[in-house]
This record gives sequence, C-alpha cells and structure tokens, in this order.
Amino acid sequence: MLDLHALIAALHLLGSSWQPWAVVIPGILIGLLIHSVPGLTTSMALAICLPLIPYMNFLQALIFMTAMYAGSVFGVAIPAILLNVPGSAAAVGTTFDGFPMAKAGKHNEALGLALVASCFGQVVVYLLLLGLAGPIGAFALKLGPPEMLVLSLWGVTLIGTLSGRHLSRGLLAGVLGLLLGTVGVSARGVPRGTFGIDLLLDGIPVVPAIVGLFAAAELFNLVGREYIVDNLAQRQVKAIRILAGMREAFRHKTVMLRGAILGSCIGIIPGGHAIANLLSYSEARRVAKDPEKFGTGDPRGVLAAETANASSEGGSMATLLALGIPTGGATAVMLVAFSMQNITGGPSFMRDHADIVYAVILANLAQVAVLAVVGFAFIFAAGFVVKVRLRLLVPTILTLAVIGSYALSHDIAGPITLAVFAIIGWIMHKLDYPVQAAVVGLLLGRGAEGNLLRTYQMSGGNFGFLLTRPIAIVMFILLVASTTLPLVRSMRTAARKGKLKWNEEHS
Amino acid sequence: MPDAPSINESADRKFAVDMPNILFATALAGWIAWYCWDAWHANSAMENMILILPVSTAGLLLYFFVIAGSIKRPSLAEIQSTPPHELMDRGVAIKIAGSMAMLAALVLAGPLIGFDVATFVYMLGMMAFLGERRILVLLFFPLLFSVAVIYCFGTLLATPLPVLIFRGQN
Repeated sequence: MLDLHALIAALHLLGSSWQPWAVVIPGILIGLLIHSVPGLTTSMALAICLPLIPYMNFLQALIFMTAMYAGSVFGVAIPAILLNVPGSAAAVGTTFDGFPMAKAGKHNEALGLALVASCFGQVVVYLLLLGLAGPIGAFALKLGPPEMLVLSLWGVTLIGTLSGRHLSRGLLAGVLGLLLGTVGVSARGVPRGTFGIDLLLDGIPVVPAIVGLFAAAELFNLVGREYIVDNLAQRQVKAIRILAGMREAFRHKTVMLRGAILGSCIGIIPGGHAIANLLSYSEARRVAKDPEKFGTGDPRGVLAAETANASSEGGSMATLLALGIPTGGATAVMLVAFSMQNITGGPSFMRDHADIVYAVILANLAQVAVLAVVGFAFIFAAGFVVKVRLRLLVPTILTLAVIGSYALSHDIAGPITLAVFAIIGWIMHKLDYPVQAAVVGLLLGRGAEGNLLRTYQMSGGNFGFLLTRPIAIVMFILLVASTTLPLVRSMRTAARKGKLKWNEEHS
Repeated sequence: MPDAPSINESADRKFAVDMPNILFATALAGWIAWYCWDAWHANSAMENMILILPVSTAGLLLYFFVIAGSIKRPSLAEIQSTPPHELMDRGVAIKIAGSMAMLAALVLAGPLIGFDVATFVYMLGMMAFLGERRILVLLFFPLLFSVAVIYCFGTLLATPLPVLIFRGQN
C-alpha cells in the first residue's frame, strides 16, 4: 500500500529543481509528432532519443522519457481518427468509431473525446498505481504462459467476432493473421512460409504490415474523392467544437471509468496493451442499450477504446517497475534508458527505491495536465488534415509510410511488406473481412505459439495441468462466452428473420 | 470489383453467388493449406506444428462456412432492397489500380535509384494522376517534400536511406 515516507521523498526529488521539467513539453511533442507519421512507433522515438540520456541527470532523463511516453499514448489516436491509421495496435479500437466520426465531419469532436479519454485513462491508472503498485506487481507474477496464451486467443477471437457483419469471415481473418504472425524461423530453427526469401526469416515485419493493411488500404479507398470530409461546411477546424467533444466525454463517465479500469488490469500482462482497447470497446458495446450505433461514429466507442489504450500503457509501466519486465517495445526501450542511469526494475527495485517508483508515477500524473494543454494545441493543428486535398494527402502519407517502413526494417522488406499488405487490406475491406482481426492475429501469432509451446512443456503433455490455473480458466470461459454469445444472438436474429420470410412467402 | 452479389437464376429459384468473395476465400484457404504443408515439410515435430496445425485446420473449416455464406437464396424483401449489380465506377477503379501500381513502383525504385529521386518522381506522378493540374504545385510540392523527408530521416532521425542526390544527409 501507499508508503508515505517514499511519497514525500518522491515529491522532494521532483521538486528539487525546475530545470528537469523544461523537457516535458519537448518530450510530449516528440511523442505526438512521431505518431503522425505512419510506420513510426513509440519505441522508435524513444530509441532515437536514447543517446541523449547520458547527457541528462537522472531526474531529467526520467521526466523526458515519461513525457515522450505520455505524448505517444495519445498521439496514436490522432491518425486513427483522421486517417483510419492506428499509430499502434493499441489504437485499433479507436478507428472503429473515430474515423466514421471524422468522415461525418465530427473530427473536432472525436479528437476532443480522444484527448479527454487519454488524459482520464492515464490519471486513473497512475492513481491506481500510486496505491497498488505492490499488489499489482504480485498479481502480474501469477500470470504465466497459459494465461498469456488464452489472452492472445481471446484477443483474436474477440476482434474476429466484434467487427464486420460475417462471423466466419472475421474468424478466418483472425486465423490468417495468427498464421502470418508465425511465418519465419521456428523454435526448431527451420524456416516456414518464407518462399525461400531470406528477408522473411525473421518473420513478416509487423509495423509495415499493419500500416499497409490499415493506412494504404484506406488511402486507396479515398482515391477519387476530393477531401476526407465531402461537405464543405463540415470541413472546419474549430477549437469550440474540440471543446464540445471534450465536454461530451464527461457525459459518459461510466464508459471512461470502465475502460480505464479494464485497461489498467489488462495492461499489466505482457502484450495486453495491444488488446485492452478491443476488450474495452467490446464491453462498452455489449452493455450499451443501443449496440448497433457502435461502429457508425458513436462517441462511446472512441472513449472506451482510448481510455483503455491510455490506462493499459500505464499498466505496462507497472509491470516494468514492479517486475523489471517490459511488456512492449516502448517499455523495453525505457528499461534500457533506466539501465543507462544504473536503475533496473524488479521486486527489489520496488522495495529499495520506492521513492523513484513514486517519482515516475507522480511525473506521469503531472504530465497528463501538460498533455491536456499541449495535446489540445496539437490536435487543433492536426485537424487541418481534413482541409488538405486528397490528391496531395494520399501521395504524402503513402510516401511517408514507405520511407518509414524502410527506416524501420533497414531494408526493402519493410516497403515490400507494406505494398503487399496494402493490396490485401484493400481487398479484405471491399469484401467485408475485418482487417483488424488479421492485424491482431499478426501481432499475437508469434507470442501465442511461444506461449502454447511453453504451456505444453510446463504441463508435460497433460492438459489436466490447465485445471490448476484458475486465472486461465476464467479467461478461457470469458473467451468462449464472448465468441458464442454473438453467434447465439445472430442465430436468434436469423431464426426470427427466417420465420418472417416463411410468413412472407406463404401469405 | 462488384460490391453486390450477382444473382443466377436456376429453375424457379434464385441464388446469390458472391463470386469475388469465393475467389478471395479460396486464395486464403490455398495459402493456409500451403503454409501448413510447408511447415510440416520443414519439420513435423510438435514444437514446429503446435500452433500451425490446429489453427490451419480451423482456418480450412472456416473456409467452408465462408463459402456456404457466399451462396444463399435471398428472400423477396432482400432482392428488392439490394441495389442492382453494382460495379465500381470505372474511373475510380482505374485510379485505384494506378495508385497501387505507382506504390509498387516507389517501393521497388526507392532502394535502386534513391528515395530522394523516387519520392520526387512518385509524388509528381501520383499528384498528376489524381488530378492536380497546377504546374507550380506539381513541381514545388514534391521537391520541397522530398528534401524535407530526406533531411528529417537522414539528419534528425539518423536513419540512413538510399539516396542519389542528397548524399550529404546520410
């Protein structure tokens, strides 16, 4: 629980000088800017700035890295809303209602909603961490390969059943993603599905594939149109409408709170932040009185996904601090940054350096306030994207995506992956296959295979072993329920329609 | 690509066959089957197939559900509410196909002739293809954009890119 001595020491540490705080705004801006380029990631931004760390004192480095992290948590939502390009897997859910809102000319409101949701999610998770960092760390230790495997499968099936009108196409897209995620050299050291191409030995480059599936495919759909928003009157960027969106967010406090708590819990699991937004979105839709509105530009969809995204990233930070385990690329780079300052996360770190842990949490809380202001100014500028003619915007984004992919993979594998997946994504979109399911599968495929293998090795081939894992059992029950309930619901609807049809043909 | 299924009449019954979907699903199933075979061929040990075999099997089963869903007999109400055989506007289809081809050209040409030149040519070509006719915009926007991108990636982000002209930036 809360260690008051350590908390006071943390406050003293943070308040010892104003100078380290000067890096907050640049840090947040870098985090926001990086995600305006499709293909660039938080981990890349953090990695690029790593050489600066040795020139900073500990506190300055800490604040700089966490500020960049805070900026990037919200930054991913901006292209997700304006261009249907999720800056990372954590923003996939934001596209579901964010982009329909933008297309309907409600981009100002959608961005305002996302900003509030992001700040709210971060505040909730860091307040939770302040009081529960220790117990959260202990809980995270209980999660092993079986739980992570079930979580991965849950993510894929959930997204497969959630999006699109056809359950079988959704699940097939998820299966495709899972298999694509395992392409490359296996645990046995043999190449699979590489067509003999050396560039594929490390697997399919994930970020270029995601950018291709989402961004490029969506940009092809915009070809032939003049602007993202057709209506001239709706093509406006107004601070007052961003503020209206921000106000609207507070009308859905329950949605935000539920999303923030869900995200905090799922975010502590390695890989969890990739699906926290999807689970939160699914839950918001499930409990809504009018679930059919989700996916058509419902503010609750943006709020549910974004709060979970923001809070799950805070959850990742908890695992980093409590266990010294990075749960994603960004936290992995932060671990490196910490080690450059001779700090290593883990249970002993939590015990011996509780003041530093509290300093990280408090710094993040303070940065949320700055993010609210800087983020507002940033989205005001970013909102002008809807005023740019698509004949300029489409080639610009595609070029950035190609060069970003090259920069990421350092060879032609990235751009080729992007182009191939752009075409596949466009076809999937046209034929009503949920691209999101393939993306989540692609992200989780390799991890799912590793966790399945480790589970098998732990069990010694005896599946009774799973009965000794209550958390995995609960998660598995939830997986089955979340897959079968929509199926039962759609079968009931089909039966009702069938009855009507029979009546129609025999009357 | 048709957006609506075609309707083939047989005797007194009407079937809607979603042919584009059948072709795409068959391509997916073909790749899944090939991938499973390739993995098995590489090494049939448990460690290698533990995920691929069950997931591929599930994928092939799902394929049959997708196919079954692509051939159905719609009700009278559905037929009346479905717009007649919609084809994508020819002009838009050409623009999309052209955009895909140009993207492929940029991807292949970038590493060969340098991203500075390839970016400029691609931007110019793509903007003209999508309808930009202002000469100054056509020349200066791609030029400024190419310089800015190469500078940002090469200098600010310290990411080496293959270039032909701006060698000093990398």
